[in-house]
Amino acid sequence: MNIFTFLAKIPRQIIFLAIAIAIAIPLIVPLGMPVNIMPKSENLFQAIDSLGPRSKPILISCDFDPQSMPELYPMLLAIMRHCFARDVKVILMALWPQGPGLVEMALDVVPREFNKMYGIDCAFLGYKFGVSAVLLGMGENIKGVFPNDYYGTRFDSLPILQDIKNYEDISLVVTLSTGDPGWRQWLLYAQSRYGVPLGTGVTAVSAAEVYPYVETGQVVGLLAGMKGASEYEVMVQRKGYSDEKRMAVQGMDSQSLGHLLIMVFIVLGNIGYFVIRRKK
Amino acid sequence: MSLSPDLGVWVAVFLTLCIFSFLYRDNIFYQFAEHLFVGVSAGYLIAITWHNQIYPNLIIPLFQEGRIIYIIPLAFGLFYFARFIPKIAFLVRLPIAFLLGWGSGVIIPAIFQRDILQQTQGTLLVRDAFVKWDTGLWAIIILIGVICTLIYFFFSRERKGILKQASNLGIIFLMIGFGASFGYTVMSRISLLIGRMQFLLGDWLGIIR
Repeated sequence: MNIFTFLAKIPRQIIFLAIAIAIAIPLIVPLGMPVNIMPKSENLFQAIDSLGPRSKPILISCDFDPQSMPELYPMLLAIMRHCFARDVKVILMALWPQGPGLVEMALDVVPREFNKMYGIDCAFLGYKFGVSAVLLGMGENIKGVFPNDYYGTRFDSLPILQDIKNYEDISLVVTLSTGDPGWRQWLLYAQSRYGVPLGTGVTAVSAAEVYPYVETGQVVGLLAGMKGASEYEVMVQRKGYSDEKRMAVQGMDSQSLGHLLIMVFIVLGNIGYFVIRRKK
Repeated sequence: MSLSPDLGVWVAVFLTLCIFSFLYRDNIFYQFAEHLFVGVSAGYLIAITWHNQIYPNLIIPLFQEGRIIYIIPLAFGLFYFARFIPKIAFLVRLPIAFLLGWGSGVIIPAIFQRDILQQTQGTLLVRDAFVKWDTGLWAIIILIGVICTLIYFFFSRERKGILKQASNLGIIFLMIGFGASFGYTVMSRISLLIGRMQFLLGDWLGIIR
């Protein structure tokens, strides 16, 4: 086997090992690559930054599972920190059954950092099955869909929820979405039908599909994958809202090095392929 | 380096390494983790559906609050199981027909609004798009891209002349779109690996903070 045959068919175990090393090293020895803010991320940040203590609450829908945690969980933490720093009330819910565990993890961490109280500054409605019925029902009466919060407390008995009837009492919906149900359904039922402003954070896989809706203004802002999460973390820190650990920023050096290595493998594989084909 | 004393972390590490072992080849550790995941997921889904859905939305209103109207959704739900009894299997058509009718009525106008009306409006060249030179340029590129891509999928006339050139340009726009999607997919997969590495090196080994 000559070098070009090897390049055309590099054993996958070698590629996996190289990628693992390329990703592990920057985590241990950070390279400190800069994070540039994209306009679509900044739009979502500005939409939340324009809110204040007198604003209606923001609704965050955690429509993801642990598989998407590296991309979406840092967004959840950063957005919650931003809201609490601005004294904006936060209502959380989930359209994925795995969502409640992740929301509880965030609720254990973020409100404490800002001395915020559950029931007054934030509430968790829980998970509901049947996306279309849930989102349409919330447009009429949120209490009808979620008679109790996730912990079984009556909807009316939580101060944050007492003045909430439907989407008109929500300043912005942010869906952190890894697939269906997720941003598509929020756009379909909540934004298109009831006109509620919608922002979204999605896994990078879905990002290209969201762009047309951001261009038309149907979605006010977009965080795309770990890169979007890191941009939001940087914006929150630059404004002095929080100095907590930035998980997505920590991962961006690895992301860049991993991409570089994949590009090198693509080039090497193509060199091997074309040289062998010319010889034939 | 400080190893985690948390038993839960060690279990998660073991299962992570079991799944990673598939990168070498299929093996019993990978199969164990895979089967465990399927079982736990099914159990979790059943439990959370009962506690979040069936109990508060059906059992409490019907049996504790005595709201008889809830017998209708209960019956429609039970009709799905009629499939297992050949004599009354036809009953399964009722909930399916209900869902199809209701779903179509709800979704069709909403999709028309989301994907056709507002997207078409967004494609039009309006004065606001030309407030800045770059947004105007992008608006023109988007319009050309939409028209050429639509022409590529127009099969009612032979492709020659302007139709062929526009169609070829449409292919270029499509390829750029596919390339962007593929790039984002790579980014997403790398992110997943970064998340696991952060867990292994941080939560477990304590090498990173």
